Amino acid sequence: MRFLLLCALLLGLGAKNGDGQRGSQLPVPQKVTVNADLASQTLSITWENDFHSTVQLYDIKVLRTELMEVAYNETVEVRPDPTLGVHRWNWTSDTPLQCTSLSVQIRSRLGNQTSEWSPPEIIRGMDIPDKTKGQMLPQDKVVAVGTSMVFCCIVDEGKKFGAIKSNWSELASTMLSRRTYATVRINDSPSESSGTNVICFDDEKSMIDGAVVFVGYPPDIRDLVCETRDLVSVECHWVQGRDTHLVGPRRMFFKLNERDCLDANKPGVVEQKCQLNGTLDQGETKWTLRARNPLGHVELTDTADLKNRIRPLAPELSVEPEARKASLRWQWTAPWYNTLPLVCEVQLVCGGQLRTLNYTGKGLAQVLLEGLQPYEKYRVKVRCGAQQNFWKWGSWSSELRFSTKEDRPDPVDMWVYMTSELTGYILWKPLSKSQSHGLIQGYRVTLSSLTEEHPQELLPMGLEYSVPFSLDSLVGDHVATVTARNAAGVSPDATITIPRFQPDGGEALPGIFGTGGGFKLSWSPSNNASCGYVVTWNCTSGGQNCRLDWVKVPEGNTSATIESGSFKAGVRYNVSIYACTPGAPELLARSQGYVQELAPTATVTNLKADQRGSDILLYWDSVPLEGQRGIIRGYTVCLYNGSHFNLLDNITDPSIKNLTVTKLSYDTYKFLVKPYTSAGAGPGFTVSIRLEPVADMLIMEILIALGTVTALFIVVTIVCYRKREWVKRTFYPDIPEPKLPEWSPTQVFVSRTLDMKPCPSSSVRIVENPGRKLGKEELEVVLEDPEEAESLGNEPADTDSDELASLQYYNQVVGEPSGQAAHASESASSSSSSMGSTRTDITYTGIQTSSVADTSSCSSTAAPNQTVIQLSGGYQPQMNPVTSPTQPQDSSSDVALLEACRGYQPQASWRLDSTEEAGLDSLGSPTSVNSSQFLLPESSQEEERGHASSTTWFRTLLSGKP
Amino acid sequence: MAARTDSSRSSPGRSASLARVLHADCARLLELYKEKESFLAEHGPEGPNIVAVSLSLDDLSTYDKLRLLRSALRECLALLRSVMSREEELGYSDGGQGEYESMRNTVRDRLEHLLHSTELLLEETRTSNSPQVPDGAVSVEPDEVDGAFQAKVWTYRVLQELVHWTRYTSQTLHILHAEWEAEGQQTM
Repeated sequence: MRFLLLCALLLGLGAKNGDGQRGSQLPVPQKVTVNADLASQTLSITWENDFHSTVQLYDIKVLRTELMEVAYNETVEVRPDPTLGVHRWNWTSDTPLQCTSLSVQIRSRLGNQTSEWSPPEIIRGMDIPDKTKGQMLPQDKVVAVGTSMVFCCIVDEGKKFGAIKSNWSELASTMLSRRTYATVRINDSPSESSGTNVICFDDEKSMIDGAVVFVGYPPDIRDLVCETRDLVSVECHWVQGRDTHLVGPRRMFFKLNERDCLDANKPGVVEQKCQLNGTLDQGETKWTLRARNPLGHVELTDTADLKNRIRPLAPELSVEPEARKASLRWQWTAPWYNTLPLVCEVQLVCGGQLRTLNYTGKGLAQVLLEGLQPYEKYRVKVRCGAQQNFWKWGSWSSELRFSTKEDRPDPVDMWVYMTSELTGYILWKPLSKSQSHGLIQGYRVTLSSLTEEHPQELLPMGLEYSVPFSLDSLVGDHVATVTARNAAGVSPDATITIPRFQPDGGEALPGIFGTGGGFKLSWSPSNNASCGYVVTWNCTSGGQNCRLDWVKVPEGNTSATIESGSFKAGVRYNVSIYACTPGAPELLARSQGYVQELAPTATVTNLKADQRGSDILLYWDSVPLEGQRGIIRGYTVCLYNGSHFNLLDNITDPSIKNLTVTKLSYDTYKFLVKPYTSAGAGPGFTVSIRLEPVADMLIMEILIALGTVTALFIVVTIVCYRKREWVKRTFYPDIPEPKLPEWSPTQVFVSRTLDMKPCPSSSVRIVENPGRKLGKEELEVVLEDPEEAESLGNEPADTDSDELASLQYYNQVVGEPSGQAAHASESASSSSSSMGSTRTDITYTGIQTSSVADTSSCSSTAAPNQTVIQLSGGYQPQMNPVTSPTQPQDSSSDVALLEACRGYQPQASWRLDSTEEAGLDSLGSPTSVNSSQFLLPESSQEEERGHASSTTWFRTLLSGKP
Repeated sequence: MAARTDSSRSSPGRSASLARVLHADCARLLELYKEKESFLAEHGPEGPNIVAVSLSLDDLSTYDKLRLLRSALRECLALLRSVMSREEELGYSDGGQGEYESMRNTVRDRLEHLLHSTELLLEETRTSNSPQVPDGAVSVEPDEVDGAFQAKVWTYRVLQELVHWTRYTSQTLHILHAEWEAEGQQTM
């Protein structure tokens, strides 16, 4: 109960105290002080308050004094320092504190109740009237890339603000006081080593002041590794990351285990290492590297036992060379390596070839380099590492160059080339640098035999590496010896027993084919080959520089690939294989070939063409060896056709060097012959020849032709003679005599048609009347069978019929019975209508003359009983157009009759009085007569005579009469 | 008095040639610095001469003028060395590899050479009749060169001083050379 009363009393007191504070003013903060850290732009504000006050919230207000603008106004919770009872609060300004004066005031706050503001504490800026000079703030600020910062410009007293510029661009500015203007710059990229300038100008564009800002990055390092090089110190390395872009006093500074890294801290140093003292006995050790710059710091650590971190320094080399070995020594700048087990690597370079040798040993400092080449240049360098707990190879020593001394040369590689039974050349190859072992001073060549006591010394020919020799006889073996000499001595003897001369064999040698620029050879093993084989080769074409070359094949090998830089395409080589015997070399095989075949550059020689009857024989000689450039595989023979050559034949056997061309007509021919190898055809050789007929054959052919013609003529003559009746009947039937009807003198020709009815039918036969002038023939009228005439007269005339051998003329007679006359009138224009008229069948044969025709004779004066009459009017095949004076001139019927008489004038040479020829194409046209060629003579009378004579002759022949 | 020949090691002709080359180098050095600090190209700061001599040069003989000019060049050399030291300290010089740094070193070397050459020349030409004028030249200390920007401005002004005094020295040496030659022709 007593406890409850105590609690109630305390609660009552508490409530009374609270009410008492709310009821009275809160205490104003006392002893307010403001300290400015210009570098960090921070105001440190301290104040005191009533010790018994429970206030923990304070309103803090920062004003720009001149314009009384609020720079900061916040309520903060600040607890007093428990020992001193002082309240402390820091405020960092984004604007340099010196830009303008600042006033700081504080008041206490308890809920909504606040105290009075404390008296303002003023931080004086640089823009107060006492400081008339303008300036730019802040100066030499270091900021990180990507941050922004505020610059302020204090204008000189009496001047006006113009602009703030950076990198030629004007920055937006705000007024902080009468003379102070501020701007914000975003530092988006690192600045140059001398920083970025921010410059303030007045309104007259004169520079007031400027500031430099250094924009960069905080330190960035990694991979700290510590090791020992000299066994008494620790050397730590690290890797530099991103460049800070800060130099000079703003660069990075390093500390290793809190000790300054003097080397790394030097300005402009780019080596990232730091060194401390240390021993191998200190065991596991931790090293901490700290790097800092104005923008920050970074720490790296590494922990290790230095015994496992030994990386030796570079040794210092010295060498003592001999001919085939050298003693290599080295020393250490640190003497403590002498007891350390080391593994060392020696790199030896000679002629571009690298040899790496490893040596181990405690305190290793000397090695012997063996297997060196005499008189050779070497380069050597050494690096070492700890043999136990190997960590890393140490640094390479500097490279040391040395040359080995000379030694006597190696034996000379020699050969003997026989040019005849007793002469030849001793050849040898110049010693290479690796064989000469020094500077060769000369070669010595001797030739000895068992019969001679002293060897014969031969003098080499300049730089040819060969010497000719001649043997006195073939008796016994002769031995050639070659030695080389340099400053160190003479080479061992190289000897060879002179072999027997064996000719090349020429074209008969078997061929071999090159592959890959050389020859791949294989041969049967020889029992005599006690010391291997020798393959020799020399070119047999290709001109100069054709020195014999050889290669020695070790014993047991029966194949070799010979490759030489001297091999040339298109050059023929003779390749010989010798067995190396204790005596003279023994020739095993010899062949020839090309390492690469080319198309021939020369063509065949002596190409000739001979005529053999009607054939042509082409033959030629081989392609010269120099121009073959490959194995000739054959020849192509082409024939020129006027525009180009056509392939005539492809001769695939190169031994065949001729070709017979047959089935040719007599003409001029041009042939082309080309040789070809596997690489293609070479140039061609052309030859022309004219194929002419042989004279005997010509004569024979003429005689045969003449005989054939003669025989044929005789046979035809005989046949014609024997069959002359048939021929005559077929080709020259007798012209039937005209059959004249009964002729009435009273009858008058009134119609165009010559009605022969009054006259008995008659046949007209041409008889030759020698008594007539001009050779004219007369028509002889022969009366024949009247019945035949009648039967013929009932048929219509067909002048176009070829079978009809006679022509019928129908003469219409005036005064005939009416029936006949009427019938005649109905068909006055038609010959077929001449029913009942007398028909005259005429066969013309050889009728050539009738120019003298008397129309009056073929009129009323004609007597029916006459057997031979002068035909006129009705039939006038060769009638002259002579008008009869007895004929009435005005009688149209007579005119028509005359016209009708003129209707048949096949061979007349007359001239028509009338141009009306239409009526002339009626009956009586001689074209209807068979064998019209005889009815159509030439117009001239001389020709007519000729024709007459020829026809007479032929008719006589056919008739068999003389 | 022996005839003076231009072949002597301290002839005014050689010194004049050296001064002419040095003046060209200084002008080039100023241009390079303007390229490096581009704001100086358009807004070069103005101010009084850093180096000043005690007397008016126009009233002095060529000999005395040269003495004062040499004194001014000596001050310029001290200023240049100070500038170089400051730039190296601030890390502005890129290891001496840039054209500006190379030219800066050349100017320093030639300026030292010219000072030595003129010193010999003055000793050779000094006569008992030469007036004893003070040869001191003074240079003002830079005020408030505590920031990087002010250091740049100071460097610019030092380079301007170099251009000014080397030009004046070159002209004076050419005059001296002409007088020397005229005097030599008269004595021959």
